[in-house]
Formats: sequence, structure tokens, C-alpha cells
Amino acid sequence: MLADGNLGLDFTMLAIVLKRSLSAVPLLFFVSILAFLLMKAIPGDPVDVLLGSSEKDLSSQQVQLLRQQMGLDQPLPKQYLTWVSGWWGAGELGRSYRDGRPVLEVINERLGNTFLLVFVSLLFSFGVGISVGLALAFAASTRWRALSHLLLPVVLFFYCAPSFWLAFLAISAVQAWLPGWPILGMHDPGRSTTLFSLMQHVVLPALLLSSRKSAKVALFVRAMVLEQAGRDYVLVARSKGLSQPAVLFRHVLRNSLIPVIALLGLALPALFGGAVLIETVFGISGLGRLAVEATFGRNYPVMMGLIVIYGSVVIVSNLIADILYCLVDPRVKEEMESGGLSQSIVRVGAA
Amino acid sequence: MRRSRTECFRRKFRSGPSTAIGITLLTLLAVMAVLAPLASPQPVLPLSPLDVDLQAANIPIGGAGHLLGTDYLGRDIVMLALWGARVSLAVGILTAGLAVTFGAVWGTLSAFAGGAVDAVMMRLVDGLLAVPSLILVLTLQSFVSSPQLSHMLPPVVLNALRVTAYSQGLLPLLAIVVVISATAWLEAARIAHAQVLAIKSQEYILAAQALGTGTIRMMTCHLLPNAAAPLIVEAGLLVSDAVLMESGLSFLGLGLGPSMPSWGGMLASAQVSLIGGNWWAALTPGVLISTLVLSINLIGEGLIPAVDH
Repeated sequence: MLADGNLGLDFTMLAIVLKRSLSAVPLLFFVSILAFLLMKAIPGDPVDVLLGSSEKDLSSQQVQLLRQQMGLDQPLPKQYLTWVSGWWGAGELGRSYRDGRPVLEVINERLGNTFLLVFVSLLFSFGVGISVGLALAFAASTRWRALSHLLLPVVLFFYCAPSFWLAFLAISAVQAWLPGWPILGMHDPGRSTTLFSLMQHVVLPALLLSSRKSAKVALFVRAMVLEQAGRDYVLVARSKGLSQPAVLFRHVLRNSLIPVIALLGLALPALFGGAVLIETVFGISGLGRLAVEATFGRNYPVMMGLIVIYGSVVIVSNLIADILYCLVDPRVKEEMESGGLSQSIVRVGAA
Repeated sequence: MRRSRTECFRRKFRSGPSTAIGITLLTLLAVMAVLAPLASPQPVLPLSPLDVDLQAANIPIGGAGHLLGTDYLGRDIVMLALWGARVSLAVGILTAGLAVTFGAVWGTLSAFAGGAVDAVMMRLVDGLLAVPSLILVLTLQSFVSSPQLSHMLPPVVLNALRVTAYSQGLLPLLAIVVVISATAWLEAARIAHAQVLAIKSQEYILAAQALGTGTIRMMTCHLLPNAAAPLIVEAGLLVSDAVLMESGLSFLGLGLGPSMPSWGGMLASAQVSLIGGNWWAALTPGVLISTLVLSINLIGEGLIPAVDH
């Protein structure tokens, strides 16, 4: 009986995972089409951009040859297929205008730093955010109400302040009080990179990158806990003689942390975007810096490659967050089977 | 009917001290922006290097007639902040207006069309939302700032924007507004879409349909006004998002440039003198941006229960 029930559960789970994965495919397709069309919509011929002023030295025949080599004489759908198939085929995704190297290779070089930065700040966002949010809510519902009133404006400040501005202040403070602490880049020049030195480099930028998100998570968790604490089941548990902390930790905590998973999927685009600014402040050579360099150099193939890479990472991680969400909360699964999930997640995320 | 609704709205909206704080702060910032020309008739010092007074550079807070000090070019920070308020608020409000209008029309049309058109239109929104908005803004900014663009615009537009051979006029401002709106409308489109889907099946819409109301009239008279409340909240939040985005772009060197001082531009130039120990040039604009974002969020928090029926 029990085994039967479990089996049935797994099948619905599998169906949901499959359905969600399938719905991610057209989204990936859309992002790649979008990037491609943007690239095509640029005023000016790619050949002009590539050659710059040296075009005058080439005969029109040579220019024609170059256009042929770049595949610009092909019809648009064919160009799109060649471009997008370069992703898994030749590993190119177009070529950088700057040095003619495959875009995927250029992106690969920078990927590690950004992913490390974003991953660590994701941990910070939810680690710090959830702890602070719980502390705020628990302080509000116990004797330390004053503490909660004191802390809330601080959290609000971190939510409202631009992260790169906080980074200016943090750098000034670290320079004054911790003179030996490494600030710029990800590696000590002239020294081999150890795990410790890497962590030392990443901790400050990751903290600042996560400042806004942590504050948002903290405010969200606080609101969730306070909302749950007013529910009837809390009153029932209390009247049955359970102590206040026991109710909070055993029942309220669980119910209020589930919707936080929805914030997880929404966090990544914001963190990747914020990383552009934080990488600039801290001189980290990552994807964000690459995007800024490509913007200044009008290096459109690199921009488009970045859009596709960012888009895929975000879509896949949203998928994982969705699946995680319905693993944890059976109510979501029912809603998902009836097809209304993404709406409900958005609603929770926006709250 | 109408009167009781506004009355009800007012009662709900007024509750809570955070809303009052938000409104007070926002009013202060708006007054700053409006009164800037009274404090000094010109936005900043002339930009020629010969006019830079090195004696006046990097004066700390409270020193020699400069209440909040000066930046590394000797510009008074109070004056910069006052004039910056105009530009920053203008960018925020124009962007929010444009983005919410476009998003509302897109979302309403999509929900109204239904079927395959709806699916394609909303997948486009989902796809764009998957890309970090700053990356999209950078891409568009590199298109918009390309020199070909100002040659493509008709002379009437260029005249209206006061573009001359020597000055870009208001073109950078317009470019920033368009570029930021181009990524900011997505959430508004989703909200409008969800609202209209909920309203669409209600009886008064069916009645209007039965009476033969056209699409445009249906949208403007029935769908949009009834879906407006959450969109107004969204518009407020977009003002603060746009100001943050503009400050980020200015910091990256892709903002409005030195002829139009904004709070973001002040932050960008303050970074130069930060190493030399001038922290006060960075303090004021940062505090102002944070205050603006805070005030809008506080008002929004009071607004959400008020518009939620």
C-alpha cells in the first residue's frame, strides 16, 4: 500500500520535471533568436565594424570575399542556424571582433571568476538573509521588540543603497582598518593561488554583491514568519502547551521558509547583473567586465554570446528552483499539475 | 460609488507611519529638484579645464563656504546634488511612465488576443526576463550610443532635442530613458497580463463584448482602468529601479556624461577622488539615491494594501 503510494508520487514528480524541462526549451530558443535578431538589427555592416578604417585599403572584391567567409551572404535563417549550432558543434557561437577568437572560448576564460563570485554571494544572500530575517521576526514576537525596531532600518538601508556605492565605502573602511587585506582582483600577483587566498579575495565582493539580495530575503522571511505566527495552528499548538520557541522552530519556521525557494530562482538575474558593477569596482576579470569591454568596443558577437550564456544559466536554474519548490511543498505540485505554477511563483516572489 | 471608493482608499493608505515618512522624504527630494535653479542659475562649473579652480578642489565637509564640501574638480556638492536631483528624478519618472505604458499595452493586448499570439508574446517577456537587465541595457546602450544613430534621426527630432553640431542636447537623456525602459517594461507586462486575464471573464466585459465594443475601446475603457491599481504601484517601484540603473550606468561610464550632472554621475566622479581620501563626494549622492529608493518603497508598502481590494 505504502510502496504503491510512493510509486504513484514518483510518477507525478517525473511528469512534472519532464513538463517543466520541455517548457524551458522554447524559452532557450527564444533567448537565442532574440540575441541573434539584436545582432542583426545593429546599424552598420559587421564588415565595417571589423575592418574599421582599414577597409579603404581593401578592394571591393576582398570585402566581398570576407562577407562570404563570415557567411553574411547567406539567408537569415541559415545564418542563425550556423551561429547557434556553433554552440555545441564547433564550440564558437560567433567570433569576437577584437581578436577573431571564438566567442565561447573568450567567455570560458572569464566564466570561473563570475560563477565563483555569484555562487558565494548566493550563499551569503540566503545564509545572511534568512538568519537576519528570522532574528528580526523572533525578536519582534518575543521580549526583544526594541531590538527588532532598531535592526529594521539597518536592513532597509542595505535594501535601498546601491551596491557599488556600499563597495566604495567598504573599500575605504578596509583600507583604513585592515591594511593587509587584498582588495583588487581574484589572485595575488606573483603568488600561487591557494583556496585560502581565493576565499580571501572573493569574500568582500561577494558580501557587497549580496547586500541588496540579503536585505530583500531578510525582509521577506520576516514578513513570512510574522504572517505565519498569526495563523490558527500556532494558537492551537500554544494552547496545547507547546512553548513559544518550540512552535516557532518546529512549525512556523518550516512553513515560512518554503516560499523563500521561489526567491532563489529570481535571485540569479539580479546577482549576475549586479556582478557587472561589483567586478568593475574590485577589478575582477569576469563575465561582467567582459560585457562592459564588449559594450565599449562594440564587440557585438561577444555581447550576443553573453546574452545566450546568461539566459541559459538563468533558465536552467529557474527550472531547478521550480522542481525543488514542488519537492518541498506538495501544494505547489497540485497547482503545477493544473498548470498554474509559474504564475504562483511570480506572485510569491513579488510579495 | 466612486466617492466611497476613494474614501476607502484614503483611509487604508493613510494608515501606518512608514507611509508618512516615505511621502515626507519624497516631497523633500522633489522640492530639491524644483528649487535647484534658485540656488544657482547654472547646473555646474564651466567644463573647460582652464576654469577648474584647484584651490577649491577636495574641500572637506563644512569647509570655506561649502556645506557638504567639493569634489575633485572643485564643484560644490550641494549644487551638484540639487541639479542632480532634477536629472535623476526626470530619468526615473520618464522611464517609469514609458515602461509601464508600454508594458500595460503589451500585457493587455496579449491577454486579450489569447491563444498562440498570447503564448508567443508572453514567452518573449519570459525570455527577456531570463537575461540580467543590466546586460540588456549595456547591449542596447552600445547600439544607441553608436554615432550612426544621430544621423538616422530626422532633423525635426534633432531640433526638438536641441542637438547641434557642438552639443548632444537632450539626446543622451532620451537614449538613457528609452534604453532603461526597454528592459523595465517586462514586469509591468506580466502584471497587466495577469490582471486582464482575471478581469476578462467577468460579466461586464462579456456584456461590453455582446454590445459590440471594439478592441481599442475595450482596452482603454474597461480593461486598463480596472487593471490599473497594481500597475501604479509597479510604476512607483520602477522610478527607484530606473534611478539605480542610471547610477550603475553612469558608474560604468555609459551614463549621461559630465554636462548633465545626476546622482549616479556624481558617484562615478567621486570614485576618482576616493583613493585620495575624499569620501564625502561619494557620501552625499549615495545617501540621496538610497533615500529616494527608501521613500518610494515605504510609500509602495502603504499603497499595496490600499489598492488590493
